[in-house]
Amino acid sequence: MYRIQLQEFEGPLDLLLFFIRRDELDIYDIPVAQIADEFLEYVRHLERVDLDGVGDFIYMAALLIRIKAKMLLPVQETDEEGEPVDPRRELVDRLLEYVRFKEGAQQLSEYHERRTEHFTRGLASGEARQFLDEMDVRLDVSVSDLVTALRRVLTRASEEPVHEVRRFEYTVEDQQEYVLAQLAIKPKHSFASLVKGRSKPFIITTFLAVLELARAERIWLLTESTRILDFYVSRREPSGKVEQKKEWLSNGAAA
Amino acid sequence: MDSNLISTDFETVVEALIFAADEPVTEEMMLDVYVEVTGRQRPTGQEVGESIERINSEYARTGRPFRIHKWAGGYRMATVPGMAPFLRVFFNESKNRRLSPSLVETLAVVAYRQPVTRPEVDFIRGVDADYAIRRLMELGLIEIVGRSESLGRPLLYGTTPRFLDQLGIGSLDELPQLRDIEELLNDPSFNRERARLFSLRIDETESETGQALQAES
Repeated sequence: MYRIQLQEFEGPLDLLLFFIRRDELDIYDIPVAQIADEFLEYVRHLERVDLDGVGDFIYMAALLIRIKAKMLLPVQETDEEGEPVDPRRELVDRLLEYVRFKEGAQQLSEYHERRTEHFTRGLASGEARQFLDEMDVRLDVSVSDLVTALRRVLTRASEEPVHEVRRFEYTVEDQQEYVLAQLAIKPKHSFASLVKGRSKPFIITTFLAVLELARAERIWLLTESTRILDFYVSRREPSGKVEQKKEWLSNGAAA
Repeated sequence: MDSNLISTDFETVVEALIFAADEPVTEEMMLDVYVEVTGRQRPTGQEVGESIERINSEYARTGRPFRIHKWAGGYRMATVPGMAPFLRVFFNESKNRRLSPSLVETLAVVAYRQPVTRPEVDFIRGVDADYAIRRLMELGLIEIVGRSESLGRPLLYGTTPRFLDQLGIGSLDELPQLRDIEELLNDPSFNRERARLFSLRIDETESETGQALQAES
């Protein structure tokens, strides 16, 4: 009995390499039959967690089985000089090539890490930040953790009612009235305070109402650079542009 | 004396240009600017290198926290590693600005095999590299450099100047060499890795953590 850490493998070649290193196998004399069985075992686990990459592993499993079958055949292929060709040869070459690149990747990674110790001018303008934001986040969890989490989510979700359609309780027109009424009490409100503790339909229709009122030039929308997550709504006194205003009113609020 | 004076002037210009730029400044650029403004004789490329060396040793002598590096075919000013902890806090950065293993692996294949098609990358890694290649393009580390003449004329990928900059190397010639297979197999660290994996296997057998999947041999 043994355990495998799924997250360590970058692909089927990586997994094969793991078997070879773990069992101290001679890379030129891989016991394909034994490895193929173990490989299949792994693929079955992978299928269960349904990773996107399982196709690559199945392909490699098929390749291993083919080599295994070839090795059982009494007649072997021969090269131009009549020497028997080891069916494992091609795979071994690929593996060795992969090892070289894997090591190369390790070196590149070290170079990159060393470079991050140096800060250049222009970084403040966002270059580094952008690069950082785009980095893949590495989660320190195993695939089985993810599967467990997914199962939990799916189980919980199925208990909830599905496909329930309800009419919105609020209309944009009503919410315009609401916003104006609030502004009549106090000339300036933050949007968050207008919708505090309310339901999503309320917030959405109120937001649409605020946009509509702004378009109709009946309120001002103000932002503060320090509070980027919120904005303010304030009363807008009728301006001198009477004609235009009339036009807006007739298009805008239902009143 | 006179030539000395010119050389000193050039050095000052070089320092100013590199200081003000927010990307690597090439030798050519600096020489062009210098000649254009002063009308003096064009210094040689060697003088650029010597100037940089003098500037850097002056920085070192006076304890300045930055140096000029030759990255991505040009010169760029950057802080010394000792300042990194302060700058990380200043820029609110986490320590691990690392690329994920699958991205680095793909990057390595592209870097060492360029120009390379996606099927070739897939083959070497044994996995579909579609996602990794797209991410690396988004990160500006690789780009399309042409089309292969082979069937279907697949796109060819190569690394960008930004790749060189982000690795802190001047040109592709400075990439670490991929080792030969013989060398690799004879390396004691290959066996050390084996030993590590072997001990891992024993630990894993004994431990009951939920970190791993169970398999029967």
